[in-house]
Amino acid sequence: MVNKESKGITRRNFIVGTGAASLFLFMGGLPFLTTACNTKGETIKIGIATPSTGVAAEKGKVLEHGNKDAIKYVNEVLGGVGGYELELVWMDNGYNAATMVSNVNKLMDDGCVMFGCSSSAMMTAAMTVANQNGFPGLAAYGAPIIYRPPQHIYGQMPDYGDDWVVFAQYFLENLWQGEGRPLMAMHILNNSTGYGAKDGATAMAKELGIDIVVREHTASTTSEMTSLTELKSLNPDILYIASTPQPSSIIIKNAYDLEMTSTGMVIACGHAAMTKALVDLAGADKCEGVYGLFPTVSWGDNVSGMAKMTEYCQANHPDDYLNMEYITSWCQSLTMAKIVSLAVDAVGYDVLAAGGTEAWQAIEEHGIKTLNNYDVEGLQGPVSYTEGDNRLSKSLRVFQVQSGDIKAITDWIESPVIEYEKFDWFGK
Amino acid sequence: MADLLQFVITGITVGMVYSLIAMGFVLIWKSSGVANLALGQLVLISSWVTYAILVQAGLPPWLGVPIVIVIAFCLGWLIERFLLRPLIAQPILSLIAVTLGLSYFLDGLITFIWPWSVDALPRLFPQDTIHIGTAVVSQEYLWAAGISLLLFTALTLYFKYSRMGIAMRATADDQMAVQACGIPVTKIFSRSWMLACAMAAIGGILMASIGGIGHGLIDTGMKSFSVVILGGLDSFLGAMIAGPIIGLVENLGGGYLTALTWPGIKEVIPFIMIIIVMMIKPYGLFGEVRIERI
Amino acid sequence: MYLPAGVRNYSYAQDMAIFRTKTQWVLLGVLLLLLLVMPSFLSNYWLSVCNIIAITIIAATGLNILTGYCGQLSIGHAGFIAVGAYTSAILSGQLGMPFLLSMICGGLMAGLIGMLFGLPSLRVKGFYLAISTIAAQFIIMWVIRNWAGVTGGNIGLSVPTAEIFGYSFTSQASKYYLILAIAILVIFFAKNLARTRPGRAFVAIRDNDLAAQVMGINLFRYKLLAFFIGCFFAGIAGSLLAHCYYGFLNPEFFDFKESILYVGMIIIGGLGTSVGPIFGVILIRLLDSILSLEIVPFLETHVTLFTSGWASGLKPMIFGAVIILFLILEPRGLAHRWQLFKTSYRIWPFSY
Repeated sequence: MVNKESKGITRRNFIVGTGAASLFLFMGGLPFLTTACNTKGETIKIGIATPSTGVAAEKGKVLEHGNKDAIKYVNEVLGGVGGYELELVWMDNGYNAATMVSNVNKLMDDGCVMFGCSSSAMMTAAMTVANQNGFPGLAAYGAPIIYRPPQHIYGQMPDYGDDWVVFAQYFLENLWQGEGRPLMAMHILNNSTGYGAKDGATAMAKELGIDIVVREHTASTTSEMTSLTELKSLNPDILYIASTPQPSSIIIKNAYDLEMTSTGMVIACGHAAMTKALVDLAGADKCEGVYGLFPTVSWGDNVSGMAKMTEYCQANHPDDYLNMEYITSWCQSLTMAKIVSLAVDAVGYDVLAAGGTEAWQAIEEHGIKTLNNYDVEGLQGPVSYTEGDNRLSKSLRVFQVQSGDIKAITDWIESPVIEYEKFDWFGK
Repeated sequence: MADLLQFVITGITVGMVYSLIAMGFVLIWKSSGVANLALGQLVLISSWVTYAILVQAGLPPWLGVPIVIVIAFCLGWLIERFLLRPLIAQPILSLIAVTLGLSYFLDGLITFIWPWSVDALPRLFPQDTIHIGTAVVSQEYLWAAGISLLLFTALTLYFKYSRMGIAMRATADDQMAVQACGIPVTKIFSRSWMLACAMAAIGGILMASIGGIGHGLIDTGMKSFSVVILGGLDSFLGAMIAGPIIGLVENLGGGYLTALTWPGIKEVIPFIMIIIVMMIKPYGLFGEVRIERI
Repeated sequence: MYLPAGVRNYSYAQDMAIFRTKTQWVLLGVLLLLLLVMPSFLSNYWLSVCNIIAITIIAATGLNILTGYCGQLSIGHAGFIAVGAYTSAILSGQLGMPFLLSMICGGLMAGLIGMLFGLPSLRVKGFYLAISTIAAQFIIMWVIRNWAGVTGGNIGLSVPTAEIFGYSFTSQASKYYLILAIAILVIFFAKNLARTRPGRAFVAIRDNDLAAQVMGINLFRYKLLAFFIGCFFAGIAGSLLAHCYYGFLNPEFFDFKESILYVGMIIIGGLGTSVGPIFGVILIRLLDSILSLEIVPFLETHVTLFTSGWASGLKPMIFGAVIILFLILEPRGLAHRWQLFKTSYRIWPFSY
């Protein structure tokens, strides 16, 4: 009995021991596994996370392509950053917040010097970890909450609140012919895209002299006849839609069916919707004359960077040609390359290649904060850093749909900084 | 008052589309007692299939739409044969969970084949609006409502008079007894899934031609659960009547309550209805009350 | 209760013990030691994966009590997690309550809301109840989206970092230890709950609620108790998610698809077992991170046969397929496999 038992325990201990040892080895090996694929060349790494799948895939996919092609362009044509190759660590966050938190941790571990993220909701998931560690991030499609008060996250372009302010100014100066204060009906998506615009409106409407009335819709709406009928009875002068392409197209179609525009009402869209998909979904006839805002140039404009971008797009991702998101992400990557090259010039290669806190500080101090009127090859408004304002580019242009094409009708309009954190309704 | 007419007409026409999708649910529940929670995904995938055939392959609608229906039949057969048949006579929890698994799988399959997530179908219906009194309604919605009514009539007649339909009803009542009578139960299950998928496909085509293809279609599928709960899980008539009721309540609530409560009340009304119905009349307006004995 | 040959109990305490042999104690010690030293050789990324795994285990354990033990299917778990997350974030952020207290309040709040939406369970079951929990999720999220004065609405809400007695949990490793400690407590509680009077009542209700009622089990009390405990754990998990994982709350973080995934996890792990949720969660979350960080980008760049972006569809497809395959081939989940493995290991080389 005793003999048998001791024998059993021996075997058991042996198996347990090997099991524990192999588990230890596996766990200990994991960090090496993750770093094993990093080639040790003369490269500096930047990270980018896009929502390439999930509910925002129609935008995320194109953003991913634009970023990848732009980095290729930086390395092949511009000769990298300060002579070193720029390596892109790309990740798909699937429009899932938990994945995004893992992504940003992974990007920090991998030695990236900064990261880009192109969705306001995903950036809110990533920003606490990034801010706690001082890991600088660049957000395309931002909402004010991301960088008010300013910390380590920067805005590549004006946010949805700025959209609203610029359009309101444009409307008052160029389109408004009536007496008194115009009435604006806002139709907003129930997430940070819509509410970012609403925040801008809440902060600035009184000052500008516009009355607003707000209705909300979801991303899955199939008919907005009800809310539009209500709005129609108020006789608004502007219908401002802050949403993504699909819901915007339904609102535009319904407004057209209700003949709202026949009384001279103007329809405008924020920059999240101003893309080719909007015209495809609503139909060119119903979109005709719709105004919109966008922070970059549009395809075919005569600017210095257009030829190369078009060439890379048509060679690598021809399906994305004429898609506005592609330009956005192209600009995002160019801006990040510029930041990194400024930092390389200031502190040298070794600090940045090592990654970690020192590299991040160098990027912020010597890269981002020294940006001064970088023109992004003419593709975007001028990029500069001003103290206390984490938006790097502050300019938008007003566009209009003309016979199915989205055409710019103004020059760059700079939007003022709004200190949202001073309002007691903000961030609560 | 002018607004009221508009709300009512919008509510009824949109509600008819909910009815159409809800009938696909009732069909499966009625014959096999499976609760299909992948309804929204079936609607979405069939609208993508329509996109593939009408836009990517460029077939004309008169040829393309029947092909979509045939593909939907095949999909229904596959789902029943490989997912549901191994689980016959399993507890209801497994039957619900397997359709949840299916919904995940279909989500992935859609991303796998059509990774860009939003697109437009060609316009299948005339675009001109029709004026009813002071109200305006787009013809697309009227077409959808008409087709929904047509299918309701066809299904009711099918279940009432056709041999297969009667067999399906009997199967819902007692699977063992039906098997003993020599009716092939498995064939009935697979037939009902094929029909239900075809209904989802028709729903998908209608919805997508109105609002484009996108993840929103899944949420519409969710909303039609409130239709089946209100109407009763096993009643076509219930689904047909409850659809417009939900549509009406949703639009009237959206129209008149938004100013009183928070915005977006319209979207949550169907779900509030579910809870209320559950408390007051759990088996719905026309559903059969089941009495349990040990 | 299976006992290895030669193990005898001489007292009730021995009979009730969870760990009864020396080997089990040694294994437990090794496991705990392993868990404790893990942060020293894991990168931030893997630590964050461990954190989300532990938080998910807490929530899934709650769902397992509700669905696995008591048989009340809930497909709105992410909604209850959101209740806990927001309650705790608001209490500590705006009222300055200490973290531990606000976490418990978050749990209690989620439990109460869970009981409220569990009320229909007294009249309906099966699919009807499933639908009402789906409705619960949508209604909860609607309230959170719109009660902007308190919850931050669609813009979101910053959450203060967890702090206990002046120590603030900012590094991934410190968060890991905090979450791990709470997860172990929760697992221990759940394991013991199953062996108490309410635990046995839950199982009786799951197996046949009418029979249970006839035997004198108060359905009203125990069904609501199951909802309360299940959602209480969801609330605790939500609070940890808010303070130790996201640091910011946005209604879009609590997606309906997460709720489906929770049901999937406990099915894969094994319904109504205490180790089930642990296995299920580890499998799904590890699969998730390995697929999305290693396999998908690799396939995406190397296989260009399909439309660009195809590989991202693999993850939901695999999740769905795993859920379906487990239901068809191994409805008792990984926990049953684990049991088989243990038995066969014990009596090896004999086959029975």
